[in-house]
Amino acid sequence: MFKRKTGNKQSEDKDKKPHSLNVDDLKSELQAVIGDCSDLNFRTLKKNGKKIVFCFLSSLIDKTSFDEFLLLPVQQNTQEEWTTESLAQILPIAEISAANQLKEVVASLIEGKAYIYVDGEPFGILANVGTTVERSLEKAETESLVYGPKISFTESLIGNLNIIRSNLKDPQLCMEDITVGKRVKTPGKLVYVKDIADEDNVNTFRQRISELDYDYIPDTTVLGQLIEDNSWTIFPQIMSTELPDRVTLSLMRGRVAVLMDRSPSAIYGPTPFLSFFESTEDVYMRWNMGFFLRMLRIISIFLSVLLTPAYVAVLTYHYEIIPSALLISLGQSRANVPFPPVLEALLLEFVIELLREAGARLPTKVGQTMGIVGGIVIGQAAVQAGFTSNILIIIIALSALGSFTSPSYIMGTAIRMIRFPIIVLAGLWGGIGIMYSFCFILIHLLKLTTIGRPYLMPVYPFRWKDLGYSLLKFPAQFLSYRPLTNRPVDNERFPKQKGREKKDVDE
Amino acid sequence: MKVNLYPKEGLLVNAFLVLFFINATQTGVGIVGLPRIVYMAAKHDAWISVFLGGGLSAVVLAMMVLMLKKYDSADLYGIQVDVLGKWLGNAMNIFYMLYMTISFFVILMNYIEIVQVWIFPDLPTWQIAIPLILLTIYAVNGGIRIIVGVAFFSVIGTIWLIFVLIVPMQYADPKNLLPLLNTDLKHIVNGVYKTSLSLMGFELLMFLYPYVKEKKKVFLYSQLGNLYTTILFTLITMISITFFAENGLARTIWPVFSMYKIVRLPNLERFEFIGVSFWMLVIMPNMCCYLWAASKGFKRIINWKQNHGIWVLGLLVFVGSFFIKARYQMNEVTDFVAKLGFFSAFCYPVLLSVLVLVKKWFLRRKKASAEVS
Repeated sequence: MFKRKTGNKQSEDKDKKPHSLNVDDLKSELQAVIGDCSDLNFRTLKKNGKKIVFCFLSSLIDKTSFDEFLLLPVQQNTQEEWTTESLAQILPIAEISAANQLKEVVASLIEGKAYIYVDGEPFGILANVGTTVERSLEKAETESLVYGPKISFTESLIGNLNIIRSNLKDPQLCMEDITVGKRVKTPGKLVYVKDIADEDNVNTFRQRISELDYDYIPDTTVLGQLIEDNSWTIFPQIMSTELPDRVTLSLMRGRVAVLMDRSPSAIYGPTPFLSFFESTEDVYMRWNMGFFLRMLRIISIFLSVLLTPAYVAVLTYHYEIIPSALLISLGQSRANVPFPPVLEALLLEFVIELLREAGARLPTKVGQTMGIVGGIVIGQAAVQAGFTSNILIIIIALSALGSFTSPSYIMGTAIRMIRFPIIVLAGLWGGIGIMYSFCFILIHLLKLTTIGRPYLMPVYPFRWKDLGYSLLKFPAQFLSYRPLTNRPVDNERFPKQKGREKKDVDE
Repeated sequence: MKVNLYPKEGLLVNAFLVLFFINATQTGVGIVGLPRIVYMAAKHDAWISVFLGGGLSAVVLAMMVLMLKKYDSADLYGIQVDVLGKWLGNAMNIFYMLYMTISFFVILMNYIEIVQVWIFPDLPTWQIAIPLILLTIYAVNGGIRIIVGVAFFSVIGTIWLIFVLIVPMQYADPKNLLPLLNTDLKHIVNGVYKTSLSLMGFELLMFLYPYVKEKKKVFLYSQLGNLYTTILFTLITMISITFFAENGLARTIWPVFSMYKIVRLPNLERFEFIGVSFWMLVIMPNMCCYLWAASKGFKRIINWKQNHGIWVLGLLVFVGSFFIKARYQMNEVTDFVAKLGFFSAFCYPVLLSVLVLVKKWFLRRKKASAEVS
């Protein structure tokens, strides 16, 4: 025990230890820590017998700015003596800091900074001349829109923050620094509008991210999964999006967003169940169109879950339900099918899932052929071969279409997946089975929370004012408040009276 | 045991949800057969009996709320110990736990019977009992907020079932209701008594009370909930009386489903299949609330984990389901629970609230006299 204690002390001392004050020793020290890093470069200059060294990782820095803003000023500076102080004065670089801890120097080198050290000085200079490879701004791919802004996030954190800041020119917009991950520390930002977002929500995010003891988190979507309330459920509890306007809209409604470097999507919360069926288009469209589309989406999702199991239940157990006229055509098309309805439905659902997955994996050009091959050839052939009935093909196609209307791809996938157990239950207990799974999903959704807030929020606990934001869509003049679901601090969007003012006749 | 219960802020529910809670707990398997049972007692004036039954439960509910308001934030377990003392109080607590467990059992078994009669005649009881009990346990594990949520969605999600009854109304003959008040008082009172099984469930308010946020509004919303149930039941009874011929109703065990039978949509016939399936959502809050309130006793009386209590009671009910094999046994148990329920949901709370009022009045007088002297 005593030994361990001293050992700890030593390692603590090691952490605090400044690097060697000799240029050559410093080089070998850095070499030893960073390892066989072939892109660790040194550039040494000499004047009056005094050495100065520039350390950098060649893959991470911008060569021209290194030459122009670091080397050139130092070389051209003939009057003054080389000291850390004087160098700091003459370097034309905005981000400069002093350091002498070996650990700090190494961490900064990995971030793309250059370290300048003059022989014998107590401190060296860290100068940011880093560059990262970035793609230019593109249209959103996973969340496609007909109407409204189409710009999407890229992998650059600074670039993404730039988009958000320029979208939302609010002095109260807060961007807190966070580091994500324990071993690989990825920089990130916690974004919220200070006088709107609820302090509890911000704290929950901050606490959950800082308490993460995870080696490497590659993307915000992974981060979202790690900080979710319930990791067993199939339903996503934190929204991930690549649309900056979606994030800014949510920020103004009192939600909290997290962005990470090298991740092309942002996550935000709290996002209740129904918010996964909101598209930004609903906001940009006229309210009645938005309302219609939102209803359409919710109904189609509902049908998507219900249709195939209903087919299975009715054809397996409850023939009586079908009117006789319909029963004849159903019977004709099912007469050739040798399987029980459950198997038939599962098979066809499986085929549809195959088509979707294959289409997603293939390059775009081949993907379209996939659709034709799958949709027409397999569908037609399957019926003719007596594999499935016509009606089931229609139902399966309808429910597949329905599940794709969800604006969130993850939610769409969840909807498609919960269909399978429901089909099996419908095959086991008919209508009772469907109702059973419906009750189960209801209770399950009731139990879920998103960032500590109920998942079915505006419906239960019931907040009728928020229905205009989530389930329904009210005209703008009635939405003078921010959704209570997010518990905004500043609740008023515009004075309520102003929205209700009515002109008299001929005024 | 502490008399008052102070749950965490996050566990509280809004007062207006009491409306849904009361309505959801009252509406259950009872309403499906209610018109026939009351009709057999009070003939074509049965709807008056049902309406009076609703009025009676409103009075009992008012007494209950009056009693609860005498305490800061107490449930029945606490109140009984406070009023009746440690031994008698806990004995009554255990009695109440048993009563609620049996109610849970009867609701479950009645639903299973309905399913077996209407949809799956060959389905073994345990095959449907296990999933339903597990689902109830899953819900109750989530706590009171989840249960009130189930009640809320049950009321919201089954409102449309009432409107389906418009279809049989078109074939109804309103003259069946005439002559009004032809039945003598004795039969009508008997009908009121028969109604009590269906109206049971509101006594669970005594367990929900500590979890309500705005306690002042409980009275209003509980009365509104009861009013809604009363109107609903009276309406359904009236429709049944007018729809069925004079002796038809007496011979139809589940008149509501029989009326659903004639509903016809262009792509759907035999609506009762959907009705029976959907009834699961109607009975879900019943089972959840009873199981929750009963298992709460484990926590309150012997300070067990409620979680364990839920499983113990679930297992108990499951084992019990094997003892019922025939229709007549089911009838006997249901009648027994009807009698038990009439005592423990209608008579006993009134008795207790009178006791509480007397006790509080006595204490106040004692305190006042102490201050004077």
